[in-house]
Amino acid sequence: MSRLPTGGLIDRAKPLNFTFDGNVYRGFDGDTLASALIANDVKLIGRSFKYHRPRGVMTAGSEEPNALVTLGVGARAEPNTRATTVSLFEGLEAVSQNRWPSLALDVLAINQLASPIFVAGFYYKTFMWPAKFWEKLYEPLIRRAAGLGRASMLPDPDHYDRNHAFCELLIIGGGPAGLIAALLAGRAGLRVIIADEDRLLGGRLLSERHEIDGRPAAEWARMAAAELASMPNVTVLTRTTVFGVYDGREYGAVERVADHLPRATAGQPRQRLWKIVAKRALLASGAIERPLVFGGNDRPGVMTASAVSTYLNRFGVVAGRRAAVFTTSDSGWATAEDLIAAGVEVAAVVDSRTSRHAAAGRVQVAGAEVFLGAAIDDVRGRTARSVDVRMANGQSRRIAADLVAMAGGWNPSIGIGSNLGSRPVWSDTIHSFVLDSAPAGMTAIGAAAGRLSLSEALSSGATAAANVVADFGRSASPTAAPQCSDDPAAVTPLWHVATRKTKAFVDFQHDVTDDDITLAAREGFVSIEHLKRYTTLGMATDQGKTSQLNGHALLAEATGKTIAEAGTILSRPPYLPVAIGVFAGHHREAHFRPVRRTASHDWAVTQGASFVDAGQWKRAQWFARPGEQSWLETVNREVTTTRNGVGICDVSTLGKIDVHGADAAVLLDRLYVNMFSTLPIGKARYGLMLREDGLVMDDGTTTRFEEHRFFVTTTTANAGKIMQHIDYARQVLWPDLDVQATSVTEQWATYAVAGPLSRTLLQKMLPDLDLSNEGFPFMAVAEFRWNGMPARIFRLSFSGELAFEVSVPANLGDAFIRAAFDVGHDFDLVPYGTEALGVMRIEKGHPAGNELNGQTTAGDLGMARMLSKKKDFIGRVMAQRAGLVAADRPSLIGIKPIDRDARLRAGGHLLACDAASVAANDEGYVTSVAFSPTLGHSIGLALLKRGAARHGERIRVHDPVRGADIDIEVCDPVFVDPEGVRVRG
Amino acid sequence: MRIPCPYCGERDVQEFVYRGDASPVRPLGEDGFYEYVYLRRNSAGVMREHWYHAQGCRNWIEVQRNTQTHEILGSVFARRVAL
Amino acid sequence: MAKGLEISECQRFGLATVMLRKNANHAAVGAALQVAAPADPTWVASNELTMIGTGPGMWLALTETPSQHWSATLAERLAGVASVSDQSGGYVIFRIAGSSARTLLQRGAFIDLTPPAFGAGSVATTVIAHIGVIIWQIDDVPTFHVALFRSFAGSFREWLDTASVNLTF
Repeated sequence: MSRLPTGGLIDRAKPLNFTFDGNVYRGFDGDTLASALIANDVKLIGRSFKYHRPRGVMTAGSEEPNALVTLGVGARAEPNTRATTVSLFEGLEAVSQNRWPSLALDVLAINQLASPIFVAGFYYKTFMWPAKFWEKLYEPLIRRAAGLGRASMLPDPDHYDRNHAFCELLIIGGGPAGLIAALLAGRAGLRVIIADEDRLLGGRLLSERHEIDGRPAAEWARMAAAELASMPNVTVLTRTTVFGVYDGREYGAVERVADHLPRATAGQPRQRLWKIVAKRALLASGAIERPLVFGGNDRPGVMTASAVSTYLNRFGVVAGRRAAVFTTSDSGWATAEDLIAAGVEVAAVVDSRTSRHAAAGRVQVAGAEVFLGAAIDDVRGRTARSVDVRMANGQSRRIAADLVAMAGGWNPSIGIGSNLGSRPVWSDTIHSFVLDSAPAGMTAIGAAAGRLSLSEALSSGATAAANVVADFGRSASPTAAPQCSDDPAAVTPLWHVATRKTKAFVDFQHDVTDDDITLAAREGFVSIEHLKRYTTLGMATDQGKTSQLNGHALLAEATGKTIAEAGTILSRPPYLPVAIGVFAGHHREAHFRPVRRTASHDWAVTQGASFVDAGQWKRAQWFARPGEQSWLETVNREVTTTRNGVGICDVSTLGKIDVHGADAAVLLDRLYVNMFSTLPIGKARYGLMLREDGLVMDDGTTTRFEEHRFFVTTTTANAGKIMQHIDYARQVLWPDLDVQATSVTEQWATYAVAGPLSRTLLQKMLPDLDLSNEGFPFMAVAEFRWNGMPARIFRLSFSGELAFEVSVPANLGDAFIRAAFDVGHDFDLVPYGTEALGVMRIEKGHPAGNELNGQTTAGDLGMARMLSKKKDFIGRVMAQRAGLVAADRPSLIGIKPIDRDARLRAGGHLLACDAASVAANDEGYVTSVAFSPTLGHSIGLALLKRGAARHGERIRVHDPVRGADIDIEVCDPVFVDPEGVRVRG
Repeated sequence: MRIPCPYCGERDVQEFVYRGDASPVRPLGEDGFYEYVYLRRNSAGVMREHWYHAQGCRNWIEVQRNTQTHEILGSVFARRVAL
Repeated sequence: MAKGLEISECQRFGLATVMLRKNANHAAVGAALQVAAPADPTWVASNELTMIGTGPGMWLALTETPSQHWSATLAERLAGVASVSDQSGGYVIFRIAGSSARTLLQRGAFIDLTPPAFGAGSVATTVIAHIGVIIWQIDDVPTFHVALFRSFAGSFREWLDTASVNLTF
């Protein structure tokens, strides 16, 4: 055990059992998985991506590149989880990744020996030839050999919630700067949200030995957190990562609601997506310590100095028995003193700088050797056993150490600050990139702004908060930051140690070494963006949080530029990996999108309906009866019964729009190609609408109920689009017109009642109406009352039969269809679905969605005569363009197979019988097909060049996708009752 | 992205349908339709755009947006501009 | 269901879209109906009629005591002033009340439902779970009414069920 007897923010009274690779270990409440593993002397945690090198814990935060595990089992297995951010809980199960057969013995570690092959850009070079080997051999091989954890491939059993929040000030990060800012803004009464990825607020205050206001810093953080929690105007979100900034001062965050619990309570979401709109934001995300680039810097036992201090001070664990500290900054000395204070032997402090640090004397008193102007150039041992120190005089010393703390300086965590394109700039003060500009409303504070010392962090947080408070016209008191202990933070960076014998890693997660960077530069990849893609630097799941700057510095060095000249990259959201389930939330599987059900839906279910999606609508497709062998048999029955008796179909999904006002007729004349101002009251008329470019947009019937009261219908698919189009016409194109329009699609449940017995049936249901051909001719419309409520009947037909459409308020739709069947028993009334509807409309040659496909003109569909010459309408001018009126345009025809048993398929292309099957000979295509039970064979609608003039001609359907060509006869598109006797009967 | 609706207030962009440049005006006569239907400037900078608040008040609005920064400078009802 | 939450569905109501005619004004609507027609997204109730602002010159008129000829009568009273489209069958209205009601709706709606941004008297036409909704706050309990197209009622109930369970966490 490497657990110290006392100290840390863990609850030693609450031991927790967990397993790693099947072995049972014990930690405490308050531990992370990483701290608990270290406490149990587990040093080897994973294998690296490319070379399968043994890796341990390197950091104590979300920037961790090495200690990735798969957490949980079965469907809940979450690969690539950073052990450093996982709160320990009872029964936690974690396994290591990317090793076979076991973590200790990994066969693919042989990749290291082949490492000359795996250099930067290896997959662009090594596996180039022959090309056909790539898919079958190289790619699967690489994928097996290199990689991280594997997805479970099972559906995610957890569920995810969503929330929205609005605030005046969002504070991203709960370290010293964020805490003081939240306190000041909260006390001043601002609506504040403070979010931190950790389970506790405090940030570095929990990991370092400082005093604030005369109290231990962790104690001060605890009190600040308690005060914030007590403020009703402040929302504290712990375990919450703000992962992105979006346009309009919008922030995305993920709250890990149940990840730290052994088992979520029933109904408990695992995580919650927050969308936050914040007028102002303070980026207080702190800084990440840079690793140093030296030989063997990836060995288990080598950690960032801040991580060593965190494990000591926060978790009471020490990651080794004998430590060596390699530093380029003042903060490394603090870690040395932390170790000494905890009673850990410090063998050496190696500072690459030549000036003697104030702590050097104290460290030497404790028994450590101090090397100035020196560097560690190699770490030896499978897990660290000793280090080679290259001294200022050039000589080398080997020193035994199983823990190496590296302190390379600090990089502000400005990731999300560049999400919207603000390019970070180089700071000569802290030797890192900082935000020069930031997304609108955002300001960086504390270490994220390069204010690395504690006192600077606190004062920058206090100042920024006071400014925000003042901007909202409030006053903050007090505005000054509290007193705190001194904390020097000077650094002289050392970008890599050139004298080394083994690999020195820059990007630990993607196994990119300093040699890879210089090789890329030699090969001409000298821009940061090219370097990134060629070497994959910073492209692993950690997005280069510990590697980016070291890599860029090495590139700058290799190309003779300054780092400021070489520049850095911008980052995209998310800052940390976010599970897809978080974004999906409630909307997955059956809830993927909302469903619209018509008023007769429940009734249709009782009738055995199969449903089909029509946009969001569920429409009954057919109503199978017991004993029917196939859907085709069902549909044939529905068609035949309707054509010979009577059928009923729910057509409520058609778009319905009330168009009212003194100028309603004027507007409709401008929207449709044909006239509506001449439509008599009490009549309906078919109308065709063009887009402004002259192509057909939609069709439907429009009814005039009163002089200034019209009722427009649209196709189901275009209902929303046409409402929008009408609103554009009346609000933007012609706002001077007195027209009001509103969607009433949902108000009316509408049923088509079709077939020779439809009149008899309806007359029996609605005895007060005169439905005779004289009293209620084709295209007549009437308003009446059904069960006392407003209802409508239309003499319209899509099927080509004598038919009516009846509309009742949607809340009465279920009652109406049941009433129709109560009466309909005597008439063998059948319900029919969209499939039979489609068959009957193809038999009648009515164009529908397949023909109104955005490429056809009115003329193509045989409706050129409808284009009014007496008025202007949308699309009129452009429809006259030569290309749209050309004689050889494909136009609507009917087709029949010569061999009546052959089955036509939509999508096939039309060719002359003897023409070669090449695109140059293409004369059109099949749009819709159906088996016509009325004719006893397959029929179709098609668009054929000069089609209207070619009835009777024999041509061929070419269908290279689905097989054999079929010879067909071109015919009139109206197959059934071409004279239209039935509809007028 | 948030878009200010003159009636509803600031709303998520998903409530709106984008149409595009608000500057083309439908010609009164026979000429100019080709330009009206097809020609757009594709400006880099502040642009007047038509958006439809489909999931809100169902009004067409004219939004001033900087196409380089996505900054939105304001909005008015499109009918006000058209009249 | 979570503590502090009551959800029910309004059973009987008359509802109609009222749209201002070209040369009429809000005052004329108010005079015709004897209830002010608000110019902003708020609602006003009087004489068993609630006028809910859903857009410029556009309202939902709501009554909980509808006669069979309610919408026709409304249209007659507004003749020359506003157009009326009956929507009584096209919408369902949920009543969501209790101390958790605001939290529940906030999880669905990406608008600020917190006072003073939104309070008793406020109206918003927006989206919850990809479903268009009109939300209006009745009182400070708080009680909200949420109207949506009838065809979406099932999907909206499913969202309500899931989201109200999540409220506990």
